[in-house]
Amino acid sequence: MRRLLFIAVLIAGLTPQLASQELRLPNKDGSVKFGVLGDTGTGGSDQVAVAKELATWRTRFKFDFVVMMGDNLYGGEKARDFQKKFEIPYKALLDGGVKFYAALGNHDDAAIQRNYKPFNMNGERYYSFKPQNGVRFFALDSNYVDEKQLGWLDKELAASGSEWKIMFFHHPLYSSGETHGSADLQRGLLEPVFMKYGVNLVLAGHEHFYERIKPQKGIAYFTLGSSAKLRRGDLQKSALTAYGNDTDYTFILMEIVGDELYFQTINQKGTTIDAGSVRRVGKVEPTTTRTAQPVVPQAKPSPAQPGPRQEKK
Amino acid sequence: MNVTRLLMLPVVVLAISCDRNATPDTTFQQSNELSAQAPVPTSGAVGESQPAQAPPAPRTEKKAAPATPVADQARATGVNADAAVLQDFKSRIDAYMTLRKAAVKGAPALKETTDPTKIKAAQDAMATEIRAARANAKHGDIFTSEITAKFRRLLSPELKGDDGRDAKAIIKDDAPTNIPFKVNAKYPEGASVPTVPANLLISLPTLPEPLQYRIIEKHLVLVDEDADVILDYALNVIR
Repeated sequence: MRRLLFIAVLIAGLTPQLASQELRLPNKDGSVKFGVLGDTGTGGSDQVAVAKELATWRTRFKFDFVVMMGDNLYGGEKARDFQKKFEIPYKALLDGGVKFYAALGNHDDAAIQRNYKPFNMNGERYYSFKPQNGVRFFALDSNYVDEKQLGWLDKELAASGSEWKIMFFHHPLYSSGETHGSADLQRGLLEPVFMKYGVNLVLAGHEHFYERIKPQKGIAYFTLGSSAKLRRGDLQKSALTAYGNDTDYTFILMEIVGDELYFQTINQKGTTIDAGSVRRVGKVEPTTTRTAQPVVPQAKPSPAQPGPRQEKK
Repeated sequence: MNVTRLLMLPVVVLAISCDRNATPDTTFQQSNELSAQAPVPTSGAVGESQPAQAPPAPRTEKKAAPATPVADQARATGVNADAAVLQDFKSRIDAYMTLRKAAVKGAPALKETTDPTKIKAAQDAMATEIRAARANAKHGDIFTSEITAKFRRLLSPELKGDDGRDAKAIIKDDAPTNIPFKVNAKYPEGASVPTVPANLLISLPTLPEPLQYRIIEKHLVLVDEDADVILDYALNVIR
């Protein structure tokens, strides 16, 4: 009887732990699978812990590429820095054929990084790539939003027939961070272009925490700048916040299946802190308050996507 | 501070003050650290060998702008003076790009590689060629006092209100330190690259790649980003 009781207690204790380690993405054949990292380049133990966990999760979820939100290398940018702050932490992923696509942060030397082949920037400060038909990623340089970049973006978006148009860059256009907050000036220039052409998802870093923003004008926003650095207590949850965390080092796994984009945010211990999906509702006439291809959060998370971790009261 | 230096100080300050009277657009409110490195701007170009001798004191700006060559010529010929000053800036940038093109012809091109050492070597070689080609370049060659004054006027409305506050906050955010205000100097390796507030950037003339504006404290710096070379700087454009 005692033994049975012990086993029952053990199972009860392990269940939440195991559940939090579950893959909550569909993991379907042929889907677009990718990882998201932000503000990585410290070369410190926290970056290494996140990198290790990301590699571990890849054994279950075979993502093909990772997008980086900038601040890819803090401090020096010599060959040994690239080794310490990128090549060594992500060796398992690089050896496994995972491609990294970098955006530039305010701590990055553009001339060096855009020519560093493993960052796949094709020598450009801003660029786009298409991992699969129907999905296109656009990396922007939010440090330097000049007319030339805006012109390029307008042209690229106009020419893109992809249903999923995903932006990634350093400065979050919406943020509840105390230190930085929303990048209003960049938003004033970029958001109208995003809305005109039906951008559905925007990924950013800069803030050293994780925040999932409630869709703004039909666009889903995620901020992840905590893959190596953390600014504890900086997230002042606001009306913008759907979910946020400034206590864990994190990465995101994402998967696009048809009109659904699924996400699972995981910490350095492999524990899921947030999960869910957004659904693309198709083309509509853009207005001043709605993008041309809006997304909506999935109303009822399915059993496979149970949504964010419940906050302890 | 010894007695001789104490006695010299008022003389030096007076000399600088007199010199500045030629450029009423320039009001010094910079930090001691910067003023110790930055040359004193005058109505013409000032050589790199003329550093400020002492932290200059703020002074009252004169209301009337002085007559300036490009603007004067434009007025005399019935051309818009502001447009002429901007055209002058464009001509100076074009001249640099022409010089640059010839200078880096022999240097290895920046190209994608897995070896950052090769990128760095190409960057350094390019910088060496550029410096050699413009060895006589001096402060004010590109940002003349007229162009600096024009840029201040362009930026001024953007520095007011909420957007202005945001812009100033961005400039302070992760602001780099120890940037040498010196023509042909290297932008320090490892220094953060300050985000240029989008509203300010969009108000300034667009630069050809690989040139970029950077704002350090209150000052505008023109950088050849591929070579990490500082081409010129304009003091106190942010007010």
